[in-house]
Amino acid sequence: MGIGLALTTVIGRGAGLGVVAPPSGMALVPSGRYEPLFRGEKDPKEVTVEAFLLDVAPVSNADYLEFVKANPKWRRSEVKRLFADENYLKSWADDLDFGAANRTNAPVVHVSWFAAKAYCAWKGKRLPTTAEWEYAAAASPRRADGGKDTQFKQQILAWYAQPSVSNLPPVASRTPNYFGVHDLHGLVWEWVADFNTAMVTGDARGDTGLERKLFCGSGSEGTNDRENYPAYMRYAFRSSLKAAYTVHNLGFRGAKDL
Amino acid sequence: MKTWLLVIALQIGSFASGGEPKPTCCVTNGAVANTGRLGFGSPQAFTDKSLYQLDSVWNSADGTNLKLAELKGKPQVVTMFFARCELACPVLVHDVKRIEAALPADLRGKVGFVLVSFDSERDTPEVLRGYRERQELNAATWTLLQGRPDDVLELGALLGIKFKKDSQGQFAHSNVITVLNPAGEIVYQLNGLNLEVTPAISAIQKTLN
Repeated sequence: MGIGLALTTVIGRGAGLGVVAPPSGMALVPSGRYEPLFRGEKDPKEVTVEAFLLDVAPVSNADYLEFVKANPKWRRSEVKRLFADENYLKSWADDLDFGAANRTNAPVVHVSWFAAKAYCAWKGKRLPTTAEWEYAAAASPRRADGGKDTQFKQQILAWYAQPSVSNLPPVASRTPNYFGVHDLHGLVWEWVADFNTAMVTGDARGDTGLERKLFCGSGSEGTNDRENYPAYMRYAFRSSLKAAYTVHNLGFRGAKDL
Repeated sequence: MKTWLLVIALQIGSFASGGEPKPTCCVTNGAVANTGRLGFGSPQAFTDKSLYQLDSVWNSADGTNLKLAELKGKPQVVTMFFARCELACPVLVHDVKRIEAALPADLRGKVGFVLVSFDSERDTPEVLRGYRERQELNAATWTLLQGRPDDVLELGALLGIKFKKDSQGQFAHSNVITVLNPAGEIVYQLNGLNLEVTPAISAIQKTLN
């Protein structure tokens, strides 16, 4: 067991030595480039995302139930308001009951950033960064660079145009993307580790060090992709969040270094 | 990093020896308690919205380690900054100094001021000590802190502060001054620079009434 783990680590880092199967439920997202939608005056156009492991599906109600069973302080009746607002696990029937059986594999929602972080730590994982998440989410079912896949872009736009359904379907019930990851689009929004690095605030003049022109009328001038509306929406959504917020269509998934 | 391991080792050690866990530090501000425990500390000692529930351990400009809970017992004015900042932070820190200067005589010394650095890498206790001297901040009332990146991110999230490191090692950040009551709950925030400080003074006064 110990030797197996050590070997995995060594081979995982040696690019080209052969791909080791990622742990169950996770997909290996290979290293690549990510172009941030907004960036500072001195920031490069692209950042390199190192290869990492990502859960193939968002965390489900059943998964989360195991977590609260093992960690009473994260139960609905026990959680501290500092770490989750009053709507935490609102759709659950009780502390240890997520309600109807058809919710077993639905993504857990109404969870705060702190709760998501604590769940990931309990699993020996972490939340993905914005760069990692966006990079993985740029892949369509057919190619790593989904930005060139017109049909894929249209499908995402169609989802963003729909209001969220109250009965969320099970996770991983549709086609995975090029990396084998499900549901990055079309199910729920997801927490990222550095959600509070999205810099658009109510009064953007309060921010410093960003491209000034971002905050004038023609806001999209400073961005790299004026047509990527879903990315704008995710960016705006993240910048509106606070760490204790819980929302009916906001879940999360874990990530891990190789 | 080594300091970290040492702190953890000390805590585990004090548990293993079966004795009362020892506080991990010496900065007290007259209100030690809840230190030296793993996990959530003693959450029952704090209100539900108290920032002092955080377990993170910080390095101070005095070269000691402390948990935020050690700031308990008096109102604290908390601001995030970084020492090399040339744009907003000098103004931001000046704003906090204006709050200090505007305190009525009976509140002097009864209010703490906390500067927490975004720059975990560069703002070592020595750098923070130098900053404190250059800015002529009273060491008895001002606490300057360096933390691990994850802990800085978490505190920023709690204070509603957005920040991002750029490729030059500078930080873009929102400018927020937060007033915590003696229990560690957020009671007032100033968002922006060069603002009127009177509302902050009133908020501080209210926490002591």
